[in-house]
Amino acid sequence: MMTAGLSLEQAPPFNVPLRFFLTAPPFLLLAAGLLLWQGPDLFASRWLPATLAMTHLLTLGFMAQVMLGALLQILPVVVGVVVPRPRLTAALIHIPLTLGALVLATAFLGGGPTWFQGAAGLLGLGFGVALLAIHLVLWRAPVVGSTVIALRCALGALLVTVVLGVLLSGFLAWGWRLPVFELTQLHATWGLLGWTVLLVTGVAYQVVPMFQITPPYPTWLSRGFAPLLAVLLAMWSMFVLIGWRAAASWTGAALAVGAVLVAVATLWLLTRRRRKIGDPTLNFWRASMASLLAGALLWLLTPWVPTLAQAPQVEVLLGILSIFGFAVAVINGMLYKIVPFLAWFHLQAQLFQHVKVPNMKQLLPDACVRQQWWSYLAALLLLLAAAVQPRLFAYPAALAVGVAGGWLGINLLRVCRIYYRVLRSGALSSA
Amino acid sequence: MSAPEIVVDGRGLEHPEPLERVLAALDQLQPGQRLRFLIHRQPYPLYDILSRHRYAYTVEAHADGHFEILISPP
Repeated sequence: MMTAGLSLEQAPPFNVPLRFFLTAPPFLLLAAGLLLWQGPDLFASRWLPATLAMTHLLTLGFMAQVMLGALLQILPVVVGVVVPRPRLTAALIHIPLTLGALVLATAFLGGGPTWFQGAAGLLGLGFGVALLAIHLVLWRAPVVGSTVIALRCALGALLVTVVLGVLLSGFLAWGWRLPVFELTQLHATWGLLGWTVLLVTGVAYQVVPMFQITPPYPTWLSRGFAPLLAVLLAMWSMFVLIGWRAAASWTGAALAVGAVLVAVATLWLLTRRRRKIGDPTLNFWRASMASLLAGALLWLLTPWVPTLAQAPQVEVLLGILSIFGFAVAVINGMLYKIVPFLAWFHLQAQLFQHVKVPNMKQLLPDACVRQQWWSYLAALLLLLAAAVQPRLFAYPAALAVGVAGGWLGINLLRVCRIYYRVLRSGALSSA
Repeated sequence: MSAPEIVVDGRGLEHPEPLERVLAALDQLQPGQRLRFLIHRQPYPLYDILSRHRYAYTVEAHADGHFEILISPP
């Protein structure tokens, strides 16, 4: 069979995804600063305003930032369809998302209704543009493989998350009468289990075999997982809203089993790498999947163990495992694959046969990645310890989160500095 | 008679080593000589570089999932 190769004049310029990637690490620093300021109290309950501010600095400022930036980059490559007007689209997502995350955190920290109104407007705009642009691409995909299926489900889950978020800000900004407790559960679950887990798995189907040289995911899992999880999420939401508690518990358990399945499958694939040389980003994948597994098991066990069901720490632990454990780890690891590759690729594409381009290990040596990995791991373990013993561990955890975030930022800036230096020398030598 | 075909087998290598190897081989390619590149997935980023630098290429997908790309210099 002969196929025409895609001509990827379509790959977006480097600065389209880069602006998202470089904005993310400062949000880890902000989260660390907030934790230093608030101290142990922040771990008392997930419902405290400062805890909600911290949560959204991480989920909007760090996670959504990188996830949307990476989608704008990989969609043309994986799906083969161009995002229209990539620079303008990126700016219309990046600026409102960044400002919206800051304004929302300020609103939770005492800014009041006007700030919630501002946050709803900014985030509604940023996510609206993102949903529209990515939706256009995904529905024009010429080939519908497992990744496209999972990304479509993830995008649907993002839509639900954003609508619920805007509704909740309607309660906080304009005093709308809503079942706030139930909607918050739904908002968090659609955001973390829907949008985040589905996006990570959709991307994992591509990048785990590609970067870690493992066998592919089993087809039944990669094609069936996302639609099944999305249907379960919808059923669970309906049961929560109409108050069928037993049915909600059972579908909730099924959701957790789904998360266990995908975490175990990934951990298992990672043991079957065909290449035996260690890869420093492997640690991030392992930590991410181990956190997903631990979080899912904790969720599964909690309703059946009375001491767990009454402990407020369980919800805080679930939040740390799913946000800082599962999502931040895999994003941190993926940034180390994506940013040096894009820098190297764009240099090759522009300077090929003119200037010798540094390879990926020169752009970002393994040692830099390994050192930052230990700071990330320390931050995760200290946060988990702080959920149980806040007086002892809250401040060390804050410092560790700051170090991990700052170090990640320094490593990414290093790649960019070399990129622009080589690009300049290339321009000089061909002039 | 033109120089013999260069073959680069990137199957099973860690990303982006196949791309690094094929770019190094493109540097050696003489006029009239061709480069055959074997790879376990569609190398979309390579197509971008090839078309930007006006190389001609054909892509053949094999039943076992690997791709064979035949490249001629501009």
